[in-house]
Amino acid sequence: MSLFGMLLDALRARRCLFGAVFFLGLVGLVVANLFLRPHEAEFVLDAYPGFWSAFGLLVGLAMVIVMKKIVQPMISRGDDYYERNN
Amino acid sequence: MSAITSSFIHPTVGFYALALVLPFLRGKAWKWLLLIPPAIAIYSVMTITPGMYGELNYLGQKLLLGRVDKLSLIFAQVFAVMSFIGMVYALHVEDKLQHIMACVYVGGAFGCTFAGDLLTLFIFWELMSIGSTFLIWLARNPVSTKAGFRYFLYHTIGGLFLLIGLLLRYKAVGTFSFDAVDPHHLMMYDWMILLGFCVNAAVVPLHAWLPDAYPEGTVTGSVFMCAFTTKTAVYVLMRGFAGVEVLAIAGTVMCVYGVLYACIENNARRILSYHIVSQVGYMVAGIGIGTAMTLNGAAAHAYAHILYKGLLFMGTGCLLYAAGTTKLDKLGGLVHRLPWVMALYMVAALSISGMPLFNGFISKTMTITGAAEAHRTWLAIGMEIAAVGTFLSVGIKLPYFAFWAKPANNTMELKPIPANMYWGMAMGAVLCIAQGLYPDMLYRYLPYEMEHAYHPWGVWHVLQSLLLLGFSGLAFYITRDIITPHAKTNLDVDFFYRLIGRGVYALVCKPLAWIDDRWTEAYRVAGLGGLITLARGTVWFDTKGIDTVVDGSAYTVQNVGILGAKAQTGRLQDYLALAAALALGVFAAVWYLA
Repeated sequence: MSLFGMLLDALRARRCLFGAVFFLGLVGLVVANLFLRPHEAEFVLDAYPGFWSAFGLLVGLAMVIVMKKIVQPMISRGDDYYERNN
Repeated sequence: MSAITSSFIHPTVGFYALALVLPFLRGKAWKWLLLIPPAIAIYSVMTITPGMYGELNYLGQKLLLGRVDKLSLIFAQVFAVMSFIGMVYALHVEDKLQHIMACVYVGGAFGCTFAGDLLTLFIFWELMSIGSTFLIWLARNPVSTKAGFRYFLYHTIGGLFLLIGLLLRYKAVGTFSFDAVDPHHLMMYDWMILLGFCVNAAVVPLHAWLPDAYPEGTVTGSVFMCAFTTKTAVYVLMRGFAGVEVLAIAGTVMCVYGVLYACIENNARRILSYHIVSQVGYMVAGIGIGTAMTLNGAAAHAYAHILYKGLLFMGTGCLLYAAGTTKLDKLGGLVHRLPWVMALYMVAALSISGMPLFNGFISKTMTITGAAEAHRTWLAIGMEIAAVGTFLSVGIKLPYFAFWAKPANNTMELKPIPANMYWGMAMGAVLCIAQGLYPDMLYRYLPYEMEHAYHPWGVWHVLQSLLLLGFSGLAFYITRDIITPHAKTNLDVDFFYRLIGRGVYALVCKPLAWIDDRWTEAYRVAGLGGLITLARGTVWFDTKGIDTVVDGSAYTVQNVGILGAKAQTGRLQDYLALAAALALGVFAAVWYLA
């Protein structure tokens, strides 16, 4: 294993620390958004603080849940579906 | 038309020359020749003066091989850079045919980019199609063979639309010139040409060839393919169809459609293929909206996309090379064994996600801002939705399940990755970061004049991107157990194409088989008996007619000859008696007749 590999392996063991940094970063961004707004709103609602946070979170959740829980069960087949049907 | 000079070194020449000589070279040193055509191409596109070069007459038509302007140059420049990176990445490949076909393919892309007329474009378009098909077939397995045939069929049909369009256009206007159409008055032939371009641009629902074929290409072949086919199509759409409204809608649909499928895919190279559809969607939408900013955004995004998508395919290519699979359910826990592959992949993943510091940030935001400034709010929102999906699947899901998820995997057998593959990736990564940090490296080559310059590095732009991506990351964290990839085939529109294909196959085969059976029976019953009777008649005629006449004549001549030979005894008294008898006979005849 290379030195870089060992470093990354060591980082894996500290995932809680990275989780904390990630969540703190999100809080920091939301706080920054309270003070920093677009010069000119492009979508009307984006003038309000928290719009892009909510947009990213809700779109991400909806995309994963709808695609994995509703759409994929309808359109998925076995891994070798086309090979078997040829 | 500008002055025509012969000083332009067409990049295609170098690639095709190498493709021609490569089969005859022996030893190992030939590999270094692979870098010469891309180096010549880079030199050529960085030094050439815009103008018209290489006009020639062919079948009574004037063809233009070198239309060099800002639009063709920016695409040619990134093609040249990517061809160099791709060749470095492929240096270890021993199979010469792969390199030859890569040269045919890349040379074709340059030919299309500099083509000044539709006929030249069509010729190089088809050469690209042939080269890329071989890059799939040369993976040399049954799945890639079938995928290659389907790919070739798609592109042949797309090419036929282009051919029909350019011929109809020639009949209508009397020229093969390739110029911008009036976006509000498209003729039937324009639509046919547009359809041909849209097949190669993977416009939904004509996109199915891409996620079907690219995952099955060779490790290095897919790196070339992800860069050239769709981006050549983007170039020709920009050249010919800027401002066509249907492209604005279709592009946004592509953006969202691609990320939705990528969200549920298991094969890493298929995830990236769907993201080509999505990212090309930004470009197609920008072309369709047709303002200077969206067109420049499309060109900038094509440039950035070629670099980071090439890097993404190089990263997953390393996984395929080392582990033998790119299926995420079979990977995981490899970060400590492939740390540099992960790190270099992440540069591309953050670039495609539009993270500040990387080149996707300076290109993607230009198109979205351009759409918003053009008051195309819904289109811009569609692109933002796609940005969320991109970060979810390429930025987090793929690397998480390939490298991080599962405990450290020390049992999977990994083939050592050649150093040149790392060099290729490193070059791509350096350019992705450099363009992100210094946008002018890219912006200075943009082809259209804008009313005001675009500055991506504004505080709000950076904060907006971080908010969007950060909370998309939170969505992944919450749904990480749901988004876990499963070994499934997700049906796409190619399901219908295959169904139609089977239907056509059955429609053609079954009636033909029925006709063949009936014909065989009719022939056996009626035709064969008649032929036998005819043959007998012919034999009789031959025996009784031909033989009687021909053989009779021959026998007569023979008998006369024998008689003549017998009469010539060589004795004088016999000749005198014969002459006397003959004279007597002649005398008797004369006396009788008189």
